[in-house]
Amino acid sequence: MSRTITIEPVTRIEGHARITLQLDADGQLEDARFHLTQFRGFEKFCEGRPYREMPALTARTCGICPVSHIIASNKACDHLLAVDIPPTADRLRRIMNLAQLVQSHALSFFHLSSPDLLLGWDSDPATRNIFGVMRQNPELARDGIRLRQIGQTMIETLGGKKIHPTWVVPGGVAEPLSAEKRESMLKLLPEGLEIAKRTYAFYKTLVPKFKDEAAHFGTQPTLFLSLVTPQGNLEHYDGVLRVKDAQGRILEDQVPPEEYERLIGEAVEDFSYMKFPYYKPQGYPQGIYRVGPLARLNNVQACGTPYADVALAEFHMLQDSGPIVSSFHYHYARLVEILYGLEMIERLLKDPAILETRVRARARSNRYEGIGVSEAPRGTLMHHYRIDDDGLITWLNLVIATGHNNLAMNQAIREVAQTYVDGNHLQEGMLNRVEAVIRCYDPCLSCASHAFGQMPLVIELRDAAGSVVNRLTR
Amino acid sequence: MPTHTLIIGYGSPIRGDDAIGLIAVERLVERGLAADVTALARHVLTAELVTELECCQRVIFLDAAAIGEPGAIAVRRIAPDVTAHSTLAHVLDPAELLAWCQRLFGHAPEAYLITVTGACFDYAHCQLSPIATAALEHLIAQVGNWLLSESASILANSDSTDCGDNQ
Repeated sequence: MSRTITIEPVTRIEGHARITLQLDADGQLEDARFHLTQFRGFEKFCEGRPYREMPALTARTCGICPVSHIIASNKACDHLLAVDIPPTADRLRRIMNLAQLVQSHALSFFHLSSPDLLLGWDSDPATRNIFGVMRQNPELARDGIRLRQIGQTMIETLGGKKIHPTWVVPGGVAEPLSAEKRESMLKLLPEGLEIAKRTYAFYKTLVPKFKDEAAHFGTQPTLFLSLVTPQGNLEHYDGVLRVKDAQGRILEDQVPPEEYERLIGEAVEDFSYMKFPYYKPQGYPQGIYRVGPLARLNNVQACGTPYADVALAEFHMLQDSGPIVSSFHYHYARLVEILYGLEMIERLLKDPAILETRVRARARSNRYEGIGVSEAPRGTLMHHYRIDDDGLITWLNLVIATGHNNLAMNQAIREVAQTYVDGNHLQEGMLNRVEAVIRCYDPCLSCASHAFGQMPLVIELRDAAGSVVNRLTR
Repeated sequence: MPTHTLIIGYGSPIRGDDAIGLIAVERLVERGLAADVTALARHVLTAELVTELECCQRVIFLDAAAIGEPGAIAVRRIAPDVTAHSTLAHVLDPAELLAWCQRLFGHAPEAYLITVTGACFDYAHCQLSPIATAALEHLIAQVGNWLLSESASILANSDSTDCGDNQ
């Protein structure tokens, strides 16, 4: 008799999801699926709104990622205006985007994933949480809070508020940076960098303990997609698209972001409200690719900042050769990017040009179609708008960072379930590993599905007829 | 040593009466706060606030409630609660935030949660319903009085759950 195990919702992620594991009569895995169960529909209700409202409207997609949506949305609006924004505005937007990267990665590593990494996959779920981390390693927990605070403070300094700032506008930014604000941000960076270095060094000591997880957490070959600089280095704000395969061959390079539709198709499945983007030349569902910190580091030759470049070299040593394939190493990649983000912010702030006062290009719409692409913490984020003569949105498409990883996440939970789940002797630690592989991707399901609500964890065992034969609740 | 009080008003500015905590803080600041009082307005409670809690002896959370008689003001003492895990990682419950403070710094401030039951949570940018607007004045007056008092008198007043002016 076949059975279904349902993990609902998945915990310690941003948003709400369900995992189902279909077992055969012998208790072996037949299939595994990752479901987004709720729908909000930004692409529909934004129709008819003025394009200038898009940054504020789409930022409401999420309380974690508003800056990412603000950046991508304003880039799409810049494209509609057909303007090149002033160089100083470009640099200021980069700082805000990197501050978002730092605070978001800090949340993922310190608050969401550290319970597994520090306390163990099989530890008591009642204490396998942030309070357990605080008990075992309070300094790490304090570092996480402080690092996130530093990122948030920089966002607030630039944008006037931590969440949903309105300082980034079509054509640039609303006001230049003052010398006082620059100094206040620069003062935060030494402490932030010390925390980042300390955490990176600590994590390197943990990595050898996770050989088993690294060998089974999403190790199936996929492609990697990200923005890179024209020279092939790390890029989070602008640049060109690159696609690399699991053997390290570059399949696509120097692709202008405006041509993303040439590379990416989007499929839908009836079991999830998240779309299933795929690499068009390989078709669906074969065209599986990953985005985010792992993909970004796999796609580049260098970060371009001193400490991050050392860490990048060490990251590549996690595997004998080729791109790092295990999704478990998203955690590692996140720490490298935190180092990079803080170093790059310091470099940008120390450039005297950062205080220049020409920060906004003003124009009316000069195109009917605008595309904005940037790297959000979780991966490549695409905003695509079409407008009419009155500047009203007639169509829009949001390709969300988490969505890009949808096929890969489904593939990863199948791999982890096949490795760890024994349907005849179900243990909580097995199911936690299934959840944990999803946490590696740090999915933001509020962005990807626009879901909301509470998420108690329910695990159900169902027989072939759909009857619940066992049920665990967290 | 004078009691350093922290007031945190929180809620969404664009969901009608949910903004009452934010607006209350704005009004309190406009009217002037004593040197030993700090007031913060926040969209949600986030983990970083724990460093603010660590530095104060008393914290008053101001929030909207969705349950109860519209306009009712409820006051309750809250304590650190490690079981109050928020299900969303970026939003904390006040009791959970206190627990973070307790765990990380070894102490947590005396804490109160004051809520006003909202009448309307539809989209409106910092615009309260007439019922919530009336309750706001009572809320500000009560908080103002409490700031002049010690915690015992806050508790004495906290049993009342309705400001009696919700028409």
